[in-house]
Amino acid sequence: MISLQGITKRFGRRIAVDNVSFEVPRGVIFGLLGHNGAGKSTLIGALLGQVFPDRGRVLVGGHDVVRHRGAALARVGAIFEASSFYDYLSGETNIRILCEYSGPVDETELRDVVRLVGLESRIGDRVGTYSHGMRQRLALAQALLPRPDLLILDEPTEGLDPEGMHETRNLLLRLNRQWGLTIFFSSHLLAEVQQLCSHVAVLRSGRLLFAGRWHGVGPAASAFSFRADRQSEAESALASAGIALDFASGGRGRLAPGQTVHTVARWLIERGFEIEHIGPADTDLEAFYLDMIRQGPSHEGR
Amino acid sequence: MFAKHARNELLKLFARRRTYIGFGVFLAVEAIILALLNMDVVLAAFGTLLANNGLQISDCYTGLTLATFINFFTVTMLFGLYLALVAGDMVAKEVEDGTMRMVLSRPVARLGLLAAKAIACATYTLALGAFIGATTLLAACLYMRGVGNLMVFGPTQRVFAVFGPSEGLWRYALSVALMCVSYQLVSAIALMLSCFKIRPAAATVVTVTVLSVDLALRNIPFFQPLDHYFLGYHLGCWIRAFRSTLLWPEIVQSLILLAGATLTCWVIGATQFCTRDFKA
Repeated sequence: MISLQGITKRFGRRIAVDNVSFEVPRGVIFGLLGHNGAGKSTLIGALLGQVFPDRGRVLVGGHDVVRHRGAALARVGAIFEASSFYDYLSGETNIRILCEYSGPVDETELRDVVRLVGLESRIGDRVGTYSHGMRQRLALAQALLPRPDLLILDEPTEGLDPEGMHETRNLLLRLNRQWGLTIFFSSHLLAEVQQLCSHVAVLRSGRLLFAGRWHGVGPAASAFSFRADRQSEAESALASAGIALDFASGGRGRLAPGQTVHTVARWLIERGFEIEHIGPADTDLEAFYLDMIRQGPSHEGR
Repeated sequence: MFAKHARNELLKLFARRRTYIGFGVFLAVEAIILALLNMDVVLAAFGTLLANNGLQISDCYTGLTLATFINFFTVTMLFGLYLALVAGDMVAKEVEDGTMRMVLSRPVARLGLLAAKAIACATYTLALGAFIGATTLLAACLYMRGVGNLMVFGPTQRVFAVFGPSEGLWRYALSVALMCVSYQLVSAIALMLSCFKIRPAAATVVTVTVLSVDLALRNIPFFQPLDHYFLGYHLGCWIRAFRSTLLWPEIVQSLILLAGATLTCWVIGATQFCTRDFKA
């Protein structure tokens, strides 16, 4: 759906994005992670043809965004961190104005989308009177018109209350499952990305550290947990033998290179420990992300 | 599709309160000038001026004369300022507010988008110019209870003429039309500046500065022989509609020069708008 090929962008002497390449498969929810200033917004700008890369190509739906902007963005919807509208116009007029840049507005589709985001009772009111949550819902409504294949979201839940974040997440999941939408979004909220995304890209200082399916990849994949009769003794023994390390609470640790959960279990049994439970630890995106950030450049996922 | 974009730009422009500030201010200024012209001391000065030129105040102190008089002041002082205010906002304000990113996430061609904005600016210039011309004439004629003759006196523009009511009305209409066309350049300058990475207020200030510097330099005696090189000379071509004998070649020459300058501003603005990055 999206193909970034060697994207480099400088602003003055600062390199915002440095030779970034990855692919976003059709139908997935793809998260873009990185610290402030990592280059996430620049990359999203390049995807939408708002930022011209110094080097490289951006293809959306097989079309070059710079050369064939119309074709590339014809089936793309976008939402930004701070959704901006013409506050002095009604929600409906705002949607109409924005949608007409993509083509004629289908009245039935418009009504359906407004109902979907729950704005039907306020759509005729001036946007200036909307709350932040309502503005985000309006942003989502305009992004879904006309019906897109790809949704690009730059920090879509930023500033929303917990209920609003929950609603937005559920709506994105529904859109992905029911409409088959490809969703590409950047967020600081790792828990949110973990819940939504099967694939991620991690940026640090404009460089790509990882891109692809994140489950079971990288150092976080070596996390395991176990429960034994003499827990602390077992942990010390494993650590001394160099089989596992970095134990935290709840018997959670990391396998040493070359070790598997299976070898750890056998090693413990051979030494007379009684194992209640042992297995790979639930992979946590935070751990994965931090590992990636510490580990450094490029790690290609599946 | 382009017609819809242009219509939407006009909708965005004319739905905003700020757009109407200019209309309101001109009405207020017209009322103030009319009130001042009613003062005895002003009437006396006016009478003396006419008497010195062998004219009667009863023949020349008319609705049409007052309307032209008011236009001289308001247009010179304020028309450019309000055009700069509105046109300077066209791109820069949308960038500042973040709506430009929303628009540019759509499959719209940048050049087409800017062309729609340029049309909105041009329409606003025409609308405000026509509004000034019509309301000034209406207010002055109501005040004087009639149209009457037209007496125009502008020594710096080498204009001194008296016309009957019908010729006067035609000259007045021509001057308003020329004013609307020539001031397109001011809108174009502000729109061009608005396309750069600049705050909306800065686009307005720079445009007004260009006009002010032009005016100041024009009034320096050493530069009088170079008068026709200044923007103000050509922007003032609408005043030449009041010369006793209409010198069309001179007016057309000014219009061609202004059109060339306007086109240049559009090209520079479009080049910048189509090649710049839009980023939060």
